[in-house]
Amino acid sequence: MSHGWGMAVDLDRCTGCSACVIACQAENNVPTVGEEAAQKSRTMHWIRIERYYEGEFPNPRVKFRPVLCQQCDNAPCEPVCPTYASYHTSEGLNGQIYNRCIGTRYCANACPYTVRTFNFFHPVWDKPLHLQLNPDVSVRQLGVMEKCTFCIQRIKASEIQAKAENRALGEGEPTPACVQSCAPKALVFGDLNDPDSEVSRLARSPRGTKLLDELGTQPRITYLQRDSWDGQDH
Amino acid sequence: MERRDFLKFGVLTGATATLTACEKPVQQLARFVPEEDLVPGVATWKPSLCTLCPAGCGVMVRIMDGDAEVVRNGQRGIIKMGLAKKLEGNPRHPVNRGKLCARGQAGLQVTYHPDRVRTPLKRSASRGSGDFHEIGWQDALREVVTQLEQRSPRRPDSIRFVTGDMRGQRRELINKFLAGLGAPPAAQFAPLGEPVLRRANLLGFGHASLPSFDLERSSYVISFGADFLGTWNSPVSQSIGYGEMRRGRAGRRGKFVQVEQRMSQTGANADEWVSSSPGSEGLLALGLAHVLVKEGLRPNPPVTGPNQDVLARLKNETYSPAQIANRTGVSASRIERLAREMAAQPPAIALIGGAPLAHTNGLFSALAVNLLNMVLGSLGSPGGMFFAPATFSKKEASSPTDHADFVAQLLSGGFENTEVLFLDNTNPVFATPPGWQVSEKLQGIPFIVSFSRFLDETSVLADLILPDHSPLESWLDDVPESGTSEAVLTLAAPAMRPLHNTRAMPDVLLEIAHSYGGSVGETLPWKTFEEMLQSSYRQLVRAEPCDRADGFDKLWEKILQQGGWWDGPCQVRSPEATSLPFPAPEFVPPAFDGSEEEFPFYFQPYVSQAFLDGSLAHLPWMQELPDALATVMWGSWLELNPKTAERLQIQQGDLVQVRSRHGTLETPAVLNPGIAFDVVAMPMGQGHAQFGRYAARRGANPMNVVAPVQVEQVGSLAWAATRVSLARIGTKARLSLASGALYEREKELELR
Amino acid sequence: MVKTTEQIQRDLLRPVLDTSWRVTPALAGLALLVLAGFSAWMYQVYTGIGVAGIRRPVFWGFYITNFVFWIGISHAGTLISAILRLSNATWRRPITRCAEVITVFALLIGAMFPLIHLGRPWLAFWLAPYPNQRGLWPNYRSPLLWDFFAINTYLIGSLIFLMLPIIPDCALLRDHVSGWRNKLYSALSLGWRGTQKQWHRLETAMHIMAILIIPVAVSVHTIVSWDFAMTPVPMWHSTIFAPYFVAGAIFSGIAALIIAMVFLRFSLRLEEYLTAECFDNLGKLLLVMSLLWFYFVFAERLTTWYGNARPEMAVFWLAQRGPYRDLFWVMVGCNFVFPFPLLAIKKLRTIAGTFLASVAVVIGMWIERYLIIVPSLSHKFLPYAWGTYRPTWVEVTITVATFGSMALLYLLFSKVVPVVSIWELKTGLRESEG
Ligand SMILES: Nc1nc2c(c(=O)[nH]1)N[C@H]1C(S)=C(S)[C@@H](COP(=O)(O)OP(=O)(O)OC[C@H]3O[C@@H](n4cnc5c(=O)[nH]c(N)nc54)[C@H](O)[C@@H]3O)O[C@H]1N2
Ligand SMILES: Nc1nc2c(c(=O)[nH]1)N[C@H]1C(S)=C(S)[C@@H](COP(=O)(O)OP(=O)(O)OC[C@H]3O[C@@H](n4cnc5c(=O)[nH]c(N)nc54)[C@H](O)[C@@H]3O)O[C@H]1N2
Ligand code: SF4
Ligand code: SF4
Ligand code: SF4
Ligand code: SF4
Ligand code: SF4
Repeated sequence: MSHGWGMAVDLDRCTGCSACVIACQAENNVPTVGEEAAQKSRTMHWIRIERYYEGEFPNPRVKFRPVLCQQCDNAPCEPVCPTYASYHTSEGLNGQIYNRCIGTRYCANACPYTVRTFNFFHPVWDKPLHLQLNPDVSVRQLGVMEKCTFCIQRIKASEIQAKAENRALGEGEPTPACVQSCAPKALVFGDLNDPDSEVSRLARSPRGTKLLDELGTQPRITYLQRDSWDGQDH
Repeated sequence: MERRDFLKFGVLTGATATLTACEKPVQQLARFVPEEDLVPGVATWKPSLCTLCPAGCGVMVRIMDGDAEVVRNGQRGIIKMGLAKKLEGNPRHPVNRGKLCARGQAGLQVTYHPDRVRTPLKRSASRGSGDFHEIGWQDALREVVTQLEQRSPRRPDSIRFVTGDMRGQRRELINKFLAGLGAPPAAQFAPLGEPVLRRANLLGFGHASLPSFDLERSSYVISFGADFLGTWNSPVSQSIGYGEMRRGRAGRRGKFVQVEQRMSQTGANADEWVSSSPGSEGLLALGLAHVLVKEGLRPNPPVTGPNQDVLARLKNETYSPAQIANRTGVSASRIERLAREMAAQPPAIALIGGAPLAHTNGLFSALAVNLLNMVLGSLGSPGGMFFAPATFSKKEASSPTDHADFVAQLLSGGFENTEVLFLDNTNPVFATPPGWQVSEKLQGIPFIVSFSRFLDETSVLADLILPDHSPLESWLDDVPESGTSEAVLTLAAPAMRPLHNTRAMPDVLLEIAHSYGGSVGETLPWKTFEEMLQSSYRQLVRAEPCDRADGFDKLWEKILQQGGWWDGPCQVRSPEATSLPFPAPEFVPPAFDGSEEEFPFYFQPYVSQAFLDGSLAHLPWMQELPDALATVMWGSWLELNPKTAERLQIQQGDLVQVRSRHGTLETPAVLNPGIAFDVVAMPMGQGHAQFGRYAARRGANPMNVVAPVQVEQVGSLAWAATRVSLARIGTKARLSLASGALYEREKELELR
Repeated sequence: MVKTTEQIQRDLLRPVLDTSWRVTPALAGLALLVLAGFSAWMYQVYTGIGVAGIRRPVFWGFYITNFVFWIGISHAGTLISAILRLSNATWRRPITRCAEVITVFALLIGAMFPLIHLGRPWLAFWLAPYPNQRGLWPNYRSPLLWDFFAINTYLIGSLIFLMLPIIPDCALLRDHVSGWRNKLYSALSLGWRGTQKQWHRLETAMHIMAILIIPVAVSVHTIVSWDFAMTPVPMWHSTIFAPYFVAGAIFSGIAALIIAMVFLRFSLRLEEYLTAECFDNLGKLLLVMSLLWFYFVFAERLTTWYGNARPEMAVFWLAQRGPYRDLFWVMVGCNFVFPFPLLAIKKLRTIAGTFLASVAVVIGMWIERYLIIVPSLSHKFLPYAWGTYRPTWVEVTITVATFGSMALLYLLFSKVVPVVSIWELKTGLRESEG
């Protein structure tokens, strides 16, 4: 049976700690761009923690929302790409072929979630910071679009390992870097094709919503809304 | 690489290969992966330890082969070696159970930082100029020994040692070294060491350590200013518990109430956010306890013995909600409702941390919250709070004044006779208000040796820098004191070979001790820190006979493999709740530096999510991490309420001047709808003069305006006790914001 | 005053045959400007696209504005001239060629921008479908591919449309010059001898081309509009975009044509050919387009406002009240408020009047393209990811240089080919006499 990778984000667990942001940066060779570029919002993080206030002092509330590529089943970034650099994989993910990308940035405009980041310059790692680079993930170059891959290298490694051992993949296998690092377990990853997986169970939660569902992008990420406290069963 | 270098390195790798071959198999297993065992593209995971904050999380390091430019025997060249590629939590470690915070993961960049001190340095111009020249290890160590020999022999305090927050055998070694030289024990300077809470815990519970919380099973959490999901105490452990508290139990979602004046990352997650006036948190806690006791909702279990007295006093009308409503700024009905909710949702816990402990009356507030915990019956019960059981090293290492003594000693002239000062892992020049003149006082010391890995504001004053290995290149040990209810010892061998011409600080101390000879040589018989660790763990086996079954080598191997000692057959659980007589709570109003008329705003610095007290400002991943609430990167900022800003005609990003009686600073304004109208807040950590290319000359240090005021009866810095005034001095300062809007729906156009 | 065929021939060949001393400094100045633009582009290629001001989320800025603008300008020519030819408007005769040549040059300039704005321009050929061993083809679902084909088709069509009626004039020139120029014009005149059969074939070819080029021209700006409309971006994803863009293109195209004619009239002393009547007629056309433009803008804004969808309203208010407010009203002023009286009141619809109106329209239409692209991108669906855009000197230099290159190409062209079709004027004269 082929896999259908998906994620659930429990907003009731997410604390805005941003561990996932650094986990992804470390795992996926996401470069830092420096202050000048950061001021021009050219940072490269593949996952961001959106922060929205609701109300104001003395009754402020804050909503944190981790946003990464939603791996849309009906991804607006795909048809617009003239070179198929942004394409749909057989496991339903939105793949990004860096080598094929010519840098039109059309996909980034089309993505309603604004999760695509672009290499405005060659990435730089001041030596010896380059030694931290993960050899499993290619380093992108100038003029190339990139975004969350659902840690495709971890997915592939797990699939190959399981195949070599002639067994099916188990729960929690593979685990993307952001999910691995999330202490309150706000992020859950797994196979949506398996109705018994944790992620499938969460995707069916009555608290589950899709981000910008109305656009028909059919995201593979379910957001479980935060609850308010009333002492009752939920 | 040139051909000549290549030849050199052929010899060099050959030498290392022979070296590894001679070692005992168990050591090979423990240390870095031998080069010949590296398979290209195949990762090995090695346990390690996060030393970036006092939580002491267990780490797993992903090692893969790579070509690194290194220095060996004074020669530079490229060798193939195992390189750390990623840090994750050690899944078996009881504190962090497989998770690391953002900072912990960025710890990787400490090792690979381009501005590490790569070789011993000797000062070549005036103090603080930053001019150093490279010097060999032999010469450097000889110089230290000479200086030690030349000091006034009859003055014990002619040698002093200042460390950061430090536990375990590393601390043990330092103190043995000092004892051997007849010098006083090391003074700690640890801005995040929570001396106030420790004192309160000692007075109320008989433990001078930090508490652990069983959030997982608690149903009601009230936190007074504690950023327990971000930076405070053991944030990873607490975050794991928090997730379960919220969603881990079917049908039961715990309630979380946060009391603070500026919404923190933790407060942002609260179901109910309560703003009380600064410094009144203890009073609010007593008000809650009053309702609980008065209405007979608690305590549970019933209190016997001396504490009944305290309970009787709690019933006094002075603590009734009606009486304290004015002083706390929280309505009587709300206090009553909160107290009743708490009673109806057991188990409940109260936490205190952050600004409430940094007012002059911090100790009162801490005692009051501890009392509330006692009334709630949360000490030592499921869903409550615990103190991690003592282990062999903790018994020796902790004394109640540990965490505030550097400042106390410095201010009382404790360093005036110092002739040789050692500094390890601490930066008091940066993290204290200029009013204390730490820099000036240190500069009066004739000879300063720093083990710093970086040139920071303190190490730049040193005469000699003997750079330590990075944590991943070192033998590490630790005794986490919170975040777990079991006894835990963390121990890790180096995960990779050193990159630079650095040496492990403990090994250097041992070398100095042996060259110096005499009694210090005798108290420290070990050749290396590794030997010392082995011998102390041998004692552990002697002390805990149930671990002796398989012999020491087996146990040692197991400890190194799993990254520490816990879950053994003699696992120790937390001790029962103590029944110390509680100090009777006596409200002391907080004192603030500066008049309300001239300085209308309370100034609240807070521990930065990315940099903590500033010790992580050198890491580029941390600099570029948007702050969870302000979403600022690569700089500092001042938070103020949009209404206040409107009144002062300050807009998002305008440059403002913050002035106190003690100094001024300039920084961009950032609007925060979750901050009281009369409070302004600023993260700690930026404003470094030194500290590598990513941190130096960036942003402003809030310490520049903080008044040198101390917490009563404790002596630590009351960093939230300053009043300031604000003035807009320009438009559009340098500010990198990740967020394009404050609100998702309402007001999205007005507030940008 | 009725001219003789000899006069026509003398007046119109003059700019080609004698060159005034004023031309050289003009050429040099323009060439310098173009060189500055080219250097800026090379700097960008060498350093990285980051030297432009684009950023997240505004990934398109000045370059795509220029792209849409210049492709819009290109609608001046071929489309207008085709319509006028088919409707047999006699006043068209002196202006068709000036118009057609604008098309070709504006297309060339516009088509450069998709290359200039690429992150990796050296791989631009991957947009083209060429057989390769790996079996990789471009994505035909991408509107950028449609652009590729539409623009190339329009360019080829416009070139043919421009070159066909040049043949007889080249033959005329061939007979007036010697040396290398003779060779050049011989080649360009494709063996034209002016036989009945050749005239007949030329007329037929012109007629077919005039019919063919109209749908092609309409398709080009339709597809350019679909670059935007095919993406779920607030206020882009709209059915009105195709006609709105085509109307805007013709609008700016006519304005560009009027400006070019004014310059030609004065610099080449063509007062008697590019007459007030031409300007008056073009002015009327411009007036109609201005009204149509206003209608589209009004319809677009009203529907958005009435629909009151949250993401669209964020963009809507950005232009009405937010930081783009001033620019929005300058645009409305330039495209409607200012030109309307100039064009509607007969007394004001003079050469000067239409010229001023046209300059305003060209500026206004550039701003319109900018305001279509930037506010929408800066406020997409998730407010946390909202952002802004500031162009850099590189983008500004390249933008200014494109105007220089248009002028340069035009000037060079007018020195090689008579910008007013000699044979067509002669035909017109014959028709009016006969
Ligand atoms: N030592 C050595 N070096 C070699 C060779 C050799 O034999 N030995 N062979 C050479 C040859 S022939 C080749 S072709 C190159 C290959 O070199 P690379 O192109 O670097 O090939 P890989 O390492 O196989 O894969 C590149 C990256 O793509 C990621 N990836 C996998 N699937 C996807 C996806 O769907 N989307 C995205 N975005 N990423 C994905 C992988 O995780 C990996 O990080 O190496 C060359 N270099
Ligand atoms: N599992 C797996 N399979 C893969 C890939 C992968 O990443 N994983 N990568 C794929 C890719 S990208 C590629 S390019 C292919 C490469 O796969 P192959 O083309 O099979 O390449 P090699 O096995 O590296 O080399 C082929 C043979 O050429 C011999 N040889 C070397 N030099 C010479 C010479 O001068 N003359 C002749 N006649 N023979 C010579 C070598 O000894 C070897 O036997 O593998 C593909 N297959
Ligand atoms: S790691 Fe988890 S809790 Fe922390 S910000 Fe990311 S999703 Fe939220
Ligand atoms: S979230 Fe954006 S980048 Fe990811 S698949 Fe959807 S449209 Fe594409
Ligand atoms: S930027 Fe790259 S991936 Fe995106 S549409 Fe253009 S070519 Fe495709
Ligand atoms: S799934 Fe992987 S690539 Fe995507 S955000 Fe998480 S860590 Fe980054
Ligand atoms: S809480 Fe973070 S910084 Fe502190 S020890 Fe744990 S991982 Fe390291």
